[in-house]
Amino acid sequence: MSFLRLEGIEKRYGAASVINGVSISAREGEFVVFVGPSGCGKSTLLRMIAGLEEVTAGEVFIDGARVTELEPAKRKVSMVFQSYALFPHMTVRDNIAFGLKMSKVPRAEIERQVAEAARILQMEPLLDRKPRQLSGGQRQRVAIGRAIVRHPKLFLFDEPLSNLDAELRAQMRVEIARLHRELGVTMVYVTHDQVEAMTLADRIVVLRAGRVEQVGSPDELYDAPGNIFVAGFIGSPKMNLVAATVTARNGAALTLANPSLVAPLQVMGRHGGGVQPGPGVGDTVLLGLRPEHLMLGDGPNRMELVADLSESLGGSTLVYAQTRAAEPVVLQAAGRQTLGKGEMFTAGFDAARAYVFNKDGLAF
Amino acid sequence: MPRIGRLLHGAGLLAVFAVTIFPFYWMVSSSFKTQTDLLASPPVWLFTPTLANYADVFADQKVVGAIVNSLVVAVFSTGLAVVLGTPAAFALARYEFRGKSDLWFWFISNRFISPIVLALPIYLVAQNIGLLDTHLVLILVYITFILPIVVWICTDQFRSIPRDLEEAARLEGASQFDIFWRIYLPLGVPGIAVSAIFGFIFSWNELLYALVLTRRAVQTAPVVATSFMSGYELPWGKIMATGTVIVLPVTIFALLVSRHMVRGLTMGATK
Repeated sequence: MSFLRLEGIEKRYGAASVINGVSISAREGEFVVFVGPSGCGKSTLLRMIAGLEEVTAGEVFIDGARVTELEPAKRKVSMVFQSYALFPHMTVRDNIAFGLKMSKVPRAEIERQVAEAARILQMEPLLDRKPRQLSGGQRQRVAIGRAIVRHPKLFLFDEPLSNLDAELRAQMRVEIARLHRELGVTMVYVTHDQVEAMTLADRIVVLRAGRVEQVGSPDELYDAPGNIFVAGFIGSPKMNLVAATVTARNGAALTLANPSLVAPLQVMGRHGGGVQPGPGVGDTVLLGLRPEHLMLGDGPNRMELVADLSESLGGSTLVYAQTRAAEPVVLQAAGRQTLGKGEMFTAGFDAARAYVFNKDGLAF
Repeated sequence: MPRIGRLLHGAGLLAVFAVTIFPFYWMVSSSFKTQTDLLASPPVWLFTPTLANYADVFADQKVVGAIVNSLVVAVFSTGLAVVLGTPAAFALARYEFRGKSDLWFWFISNRFISPIVLALPIYLVAQNIGLLDTHLVLILVYITFILPIVVWICTDQFRSIPRDLEEAARLEGASQFDIFWRIYLPLGVPGIAVSAIFGFIFSWNELLYALVLTRRAVQTAPVVATSFMSGYELPWGKIMATGTVIVLPVTIFALLVSRHMVRGLTMGATK
């Protein structure tokens, strides 16, 4: 049974429509990540689950109960804000205890709970400090501490790591994953960072312009993106897209031609060719190839490319190149490679790892 | 060039400082002079200080009583204006309601009217309800002046408090009153302090209404100080000593609360 359920959620501010009919659900204990570019409505959606934002239409259910109009405090959810939203005039202890005090929990119990949260988050020495005396990572930890003491049914995170530097971000990401494992509570996490989405999520909800583009596990979204948007959003660097012409079709099997392809490419549609309209002979489609699936040199299928620039990442190299039709292609090659500007080279790939999208951008 | 600029800047500041501080210096130094030194022309810069003027002032029951009256009126009018004004400012800063901008404008427009325009109507009202020459009438009138200042400054201050804090508190189960009392008031202290200083100084120095609405019983310090100027002689020493005594409490009050005026209390809240 679903623990969190959104049914046909819409949000309009006057004439401006922010959320256009979103229906999703999460199982108990699941880690769901809302991901999408800024302005896609992911934070608004989260705030509607919290009750901080009213829904224009649709229903919100938490743990079987309809909470659409319920005030935030009664939904038994905790939220960690992007800004942390710590009360600056209170000590760490008082910040964590705030919600318990508001619910008139006995003092001894508050002390026990705060001590427990401090232990879980390893911040016992910080309890008597004020937020301004803490580093960004420590503030983040206090915000999480404030969220866990209330034993919420649902944790909401609104881009919690975006104010931290890269190293801390990676560290806190691991901690949040650990917290999820230890507490086993349902979490909904909003981010625009696809790495956070891929590493943390049990299930990812990709949003664009107030609509759900695709829902699936990180691997599902990586292996079978439903459209160009999801394909471009999941995976880093972004998937390469080059135009190709369909020269033959046999059910879900297509034969594609492109000036850079050394030989016609035989590729199978991942979605069984169910997408309408399916591409026919003579149609132009987009061939998607992930940078990490392109190899320098040989492979079952080959493309001829002209190098523009190569960037060494130490262990691997990003090669920026162009097809014969001047379409940009990025390739992630193992080891250190030195390809000068204008140098011709061959990139190999496996047709099983190629994606095809029709002219409307839907996966074939 | 920058050096000359700095020099000019310094010289300018010094000139402004001298102009503002001179009357104050003159008052304080004169309060320690004998009548002979005071009237000497050209003025004497070096003199033997005397406390005679202060002895004169504190021996005068009228002055002591007036300072007590001023204190009562200033403390109550400022205190009540803060008690009434901060919730109003909270509502104006954080709620959307019909007529909000009109209400806001009404608060501010109270300060557009020249006080003397209302002096007569207020006098008549006070007379009819038997409030003339009471502390209460001055407190009520001063609140109408101080309240807009409190609302104005505190609304601005409350608006600068990150909204996330309020939302976090709401999620934690805080009521609107909790949010006001536990978050906005403590974080609004700088604005509240500034408006309280303005309010207190206004009440303390106000002369026009104090002159019009009081007789004998509740004359405030400025009224008494000016009253020395009638008659056949001008006791400059006593006037200057009274002036110094009047200025002292506000100066001390301002110094006490200026500590809270430092903004940046909200630092560390977000980010």
